[in-house]
Amino acid sequence: MIQSAATNSNNERTKTIGLSMVVVLGIVATVMLARWIDARRPPVNPNAVDESLYLSGKTARRLSLGFNGLAADWYWMRSLQYVGGKVINAPDNVVLDNLNQLNLKLLPSLLDTATTLDPQFLDPYEYAAIVLPAVDIDQAIRLTKKGIEANPQAWRLYQHLGYIYWQQHDYQAAGDTYGRGAQIPGAPNWMEAMKARMAAEGGSRSTAREIYGRMFEQSTDAKIKDMARLRLMQLDALDQIDGLQKILVAYQSRIGRCPANWKEVEPIFKAVRIRFDASVTPLDPSGTPYEFGKTHCEVQLSPKSEIPVR
Amino acid sequence: MIEASSLTQQPVAENRASWSWRIAAIARNAFREAVRDRVLYNLVLFVLLLTAAAIFIGELSGGQERKIIVDLGLSAMLLFGVFIAIFVGVGLVYKEIERRTIYAIFSKPVGRGEFLVGKYLGLCLTLLVNVVVMGLGVSIALLYVSHGWDPLIPTLWPAVLLIYLELMILTGVALLFSSFSSPALSALLTFFVFLIGHFSADLKNLANSMNSTGARWLFGVLYYLLPNLANYSFIAPAAHGRAPEPGFLLASVLYAIVYITVILGVATLVFSKRNFK
Repeated sequence: MIQSAATNSNNERTKTIGLSMVVVLGIVATVMLARWIDARRPPVNPNAVDESLYLSGKTARRLSLGFNGLAADWYWMRSLQYVGGKVINAPDNVVLDNLNQLNLKLLPSLLDTATTLDPQFLDPYEYAAIVLPAVDIDQAIRLTKKGIEANPQAWRLYQHLGYIYWQQHDYQAAGDTYGRGAQIPGAPNWMEAMKARMAAEGGSRSTAREIYGRMFEQSTDAKIKDMARLRLMQLDALDQIDGLQKILVAYQSRIGRCPANWKEVEPIFKAVRIRFDASVTPLDPSGTPYEFGKTHCEVQLSPKSEIPVR
Repeated sequence: MIEASSLTQQPVAENRASWSWRIAAIARNAFREAVRDRVLYNLVLFVLLLTAAAIFIGELSGGQERKIIVDLGLSAMLLFGVFIAIFVGVGLVYKEIERRTIYAIFSKPVGRGEFLVGKYLGLCLTLLVNVVVMGLGVSIALLYVSHGWDPLIPTLWPAVLLIYLELMILTGVALLFSSFSSPALSALLTFFVFLIGHFSADLKNLANSMNSTGARWLFGVLYYLLPNLANYSFIAPAAHGRAPEPGFLLASVLYAIVYITVILGVATLVFSKRNFK
């Protein structure tokens, strides 16, 4: 009787151990098979995955059953992943406001759906105003205007719309937009000043510096802040390049030729306090050495610099 | 299952106590039963979901983690609550019938209406515990991601109240269906009411756009007959720090009270016709 019970207990234990091993080995086999299949799957063309969205924004909102906020978040994160995926696959460093070569044809629909699901969600409008002008200017303007219609008290949307018009060199429309934004209670004083600046010197570097400076201050999105930071550095670099070229041209007119290397103009660099490295090569605002251009009387940004050329 | 002893072992004087005592006893037992059935275990899943969101969502959301935590937390609160309201709600009456304990209950001085209201309040208490704990969970997640006080926390709670009212209406609907049909059919019908309740604006538009007077009437009647659950969707505005107007909130509470009273009245009428002798 006791022996029979012990045998039963042993059988049970053997069965448990056997089943546990089947489960563990099964999981291991599943993982290995999944990895084998992944390794042999033909690579996906990143442009081929741009299927149109199955649902329009209005339909998605209707079907969201009170979960529209969460659905908007999902479309928002999908927009970020979509752009992020394309940026990672891009061969060169690209800036957020210059992504036209990445074929972001799905982005307007994604942002439109996110903002239809949650019209008070301001960040997709901001993203549309920054990223879309290079992709589809009409959609950028339409989405930002849609945001203004849904959030008439959000002065920042006027700032974004003004930025889009400014990029299009439509300084009249940009000034009008900044002016309308300035009328909104709570809008900062610089919105009114920006209106005047657009009328007086819309295309100047100082206006651009003001626009990107305000964008850097106001944005809560790290990527947009980074874009504004790069554009501000680019503006500083343009000023520096102008200054350096003046030095080189003055040197040429005095000596009769362009300098053979940077060392020849070292005293001038020291006199005007230009930042340079150990080899006397002047440094751009990101700390990367400048390069001579086609001739040694021209200066350009190094391809190694994080500052965008365009 | 109701512990019949709680109704039978009381002294004679207490047995003659008011209907409110009997309803409270049934509600208390319904709540205990839900706890014994591990209904509140969904809170563990909720906490895991929120913890994961609070830690990882920042990297994916482009600086929108606070909004997403509110959206995710309140949506999960609604979703889990709907599942509980439907799947527990439809079994409230059926389980008593299946286990034949209902005969013991109705052999005592317990009215059909008292039984239904007690069961209803028991499940509402379960849902109340559920939404309050979940609301606290969302608030704590906000405190974590904001590294301190977050202005979204006070605007969160009116939305939690609206979700709770929606769940109360849905529980009433589940109870109504379960008073005359099988659990599977009741669950299906309640889910349809949840769906249509969120399409009520479309029902009204449909009624207005119909040429036929009959169809206009039909959709008009459906619009007023079915609960307008879209009124209780305040998750997205709450995630932007917007609270409902006091007047809107009060009207929503009144609508829920009236609607629930009507549903429980109909359920009692239907249930009273059933033979449990």
